[in-house]
Amino acid sequence: MNAVALVKQVPDRNSAFRPAGDWIDESSLGYGINDYDRYAVEAALALKEAGHAAETVAVTAGPADAGQVLRSCLAMGVDRGVHLITDRAHLADPFFVARALADAVSGLDAGVVTAGLLAEDSGHGQVGGLVAGLLRYSFASAATGLHFRDGRLEVHRELEGGRIAVVELRLPAVVAVQTGINTPRYASLRGIMASRRKPVERVELAAPADGGELRRLTLGRPERGASAEILPGSPQEAAAALVPRMRTGAGISFPGDAP
Amino acid sequence: MSRRVLILAERSENGITDASYELLEAASRLAGGPDGVSAVLPVGDASEAEGLREVLSAGELLLVEGPALAAPTADGFAAAVLHAREASGAECVLLPHDPVGWDVAPLVAARLSTAAATAVSALSWREDGLVARRSAFLGKFVQEVAAPGLPAVVTVERGAFPAREPGPALSVRILPSPVGPDDLRSRLVEIRDSAAGGVDLTAADVVVAAGRGLGGPENLDIVRELAAALGGVVGASRAVTDAGWLPHELQIGSSGATVSPKLYVACAISGAIQHLVGMRGSRFVVAINKDPDAPIFGAADVGIVGDALEVIPLVTEAVRSSR
Ligand SMILES: Cc1cc2nc3c(=O)[nH]c(=O)nc-3n(C[C@H](O)[C@H](O)[C@H](O)COP(=O)(O)OP(=O)(O)OC[C@H]3O[C@@H](n4cnc5c(N)ncnc54)[C@H](O)[C@@H]3O)c2cc1C
Ligand SMILES: Nc1ncnc2c1ncn2[C@@H]1O[C@H](COP(=O)(O)O)[C@@H](O)[C@H]1O
Repeated sequence: MNAVALVKQVPDRNSAFRPAGDWIDESSLGYGINDYDRYAVEAALALKEAGHAAETVAVTAGPADAGQVLRSCLAMGVDRGVHLITDRAHLADPFFVARALADAVSGLDAGVVTAGLLAEDSGHGQVGGLVAGLLRYSFASAATGLHFRDGRLEVHRELEGGRIAVVELRLPAVVAVQTGINTPRYASLRGIMASRRKPVERVELAAPADGGELRRLTLGRPERGASAEILPGSPQEAAAALVPRMRTGAGISFPGDAP
Repeated sequence: MSRRVLILAERSENGITDASYELLEAASRLAGGPDGVSAVLPVGDASEAEGLREVLSAGELLLVEGPALAAPTADGFAAAVLHAREASGAECVLLPHDPVGWDVAPLVAARLSTAAATAVSALSWREDGLVARRSAFLGKFVQEVAAPGLPAVVTVERGAFPAREPGPALSVRILPSPVGPDDLRSRLVEIRDSAAGGVDLTAADVVVAAGRGLGGPENLDIVRELAAALGGVVGASRAVTDAGWLPHELQIGSSGATVSPKLYVACAISGAIQHLVGMRGSRFVVAINKDPDAPIFGAADVGIVGDALEVIPLVTEAVRSSR
């Protein structure tokens, strides 16, 4: 059985995003791997290293340049990649994405499939669960721990109020991981060299059929009730203007203040 | 347009959760009144729900009953929701956008051959179906999406709707569980409290919180110095503690500490909702961020738009020289 990680290419977090129509302006953005998915990849690698998976496979659905995220997974140590090639616009519908991923995963002899809890751009928090539902695999979200105990998969799930649910899953299972579940490794120079020889299977996806998809209508900035007073001027001026506001606003004195 | 809406109700030690009452309100608005609302409560045995019909202010309460549902599981609860969906004929299913909803909603949606609209804060019917307002890009933007068809599956953000007042359910139906314990692929072993942290952030008058925008642990000294100048303690966003720059005990937010100091200074923190819920009770909030659109400015009293690495030492200096 193999460990499969689902990884998404997303715009760089620190880009200057501008809404344009029903999505953002994507004309001049850099892209990288979704942060949550680095943890999913690390979890898959750890399963193989602990002897619970024969091979690790990373799967992405995205445009031609999304092959870049598979390369970074291979450089981290993943054995091979599967690239489901589709237009970026088609990623709008999580069901279309999940069905394509499920089809691919069904041929990979997966024991454990790891996904991120959510994608930083669309933020649906559901593609992993949809894949599980479509394949009738077990599912657990918000995982902060993943172990095999007596041959069973034990997952720690983060609940609200600082509580943890311990659940046991039959295999095959999909686990959507929370950040912090592990410490994702960085690619070593050797890993990067080795990744060039690792195989990536490319599959062209048919365009989604019209209708029936989750449709984007608008994207905009949230309207804010009372917004912060932004202090104008140079950084020095703003810093100087801040201090009296902090004193009166918070109603406190600072160490060393005259009593 | 009025249509039947189903919610998944959750139990806690003290009855029905606040999140469930918010779902009841959202459902009532969508259904054109509480009569059009069905609530499903998965139970091991219907006797557990004794008394709950008096407080679950829905048109109908559906108790899906069976040993497989005595403890929450993703697949067990999904089966219960699907069963109640069919029995009620609901055209929309509302679940909480929380660890229960993240487990259950996608499994329900997959079985209905659809995607869920998640992280939703407003809902309305339009000619062509259900339109949902949701957050995207970690709270930086709001998005409107059209749900793909009916029945629609939706997860609703906490606090988006006011909680409905408790009141009696008009009718109760008991449905036998469609799944038995052997059908389940997941099992709840236990629920534990996670280890409590050592540092008491909650007692501090001043919290200076470090975010990922600081770039790396090597830049945290400027935050420590500002905290010292203000007589406060250092806290952090989850991105910072997950990266190991600071210990997990210092994390502020929905999965960390809740603080309500007199002064909160957010340094290079974007202001994701999970962070905001941990610091919203602060008396005075200062945000320093280079992105004027960062959501943190919507939760702050005063902001400085600029490079935190440059601004923070200047603020420290200004505090020191103001004495
Ligand atoms: C179930 C769940 C629970 C969670 N629990 C928590 C929680 O308890 N607490 C929590 O904090 N998060 C939590 N999160 C994560 C949360 O969604 C965010 O990912 C996290 O808060 C982001 O941390 P950040 O703001 O430090 O980083 P980022 O989102 O990366 O933001 C960095 C910010 O720094 C700014 N910046 C960059 N460089 C500079 C610079 N030089 N000067 C000034 N500004 C700069 C950027 O504009 C950006 O706004 C949770 C998420 C989930 C799904
Ligand atoms: N296009 C994609 N290709 C591969 N995996 C994806 C894709 N979209 C989403 N995922 C996976 O599903 C997780 C949750 O995504 P989402 O439901 O969009 O928030 C991501 O962290 C990935 O693991």
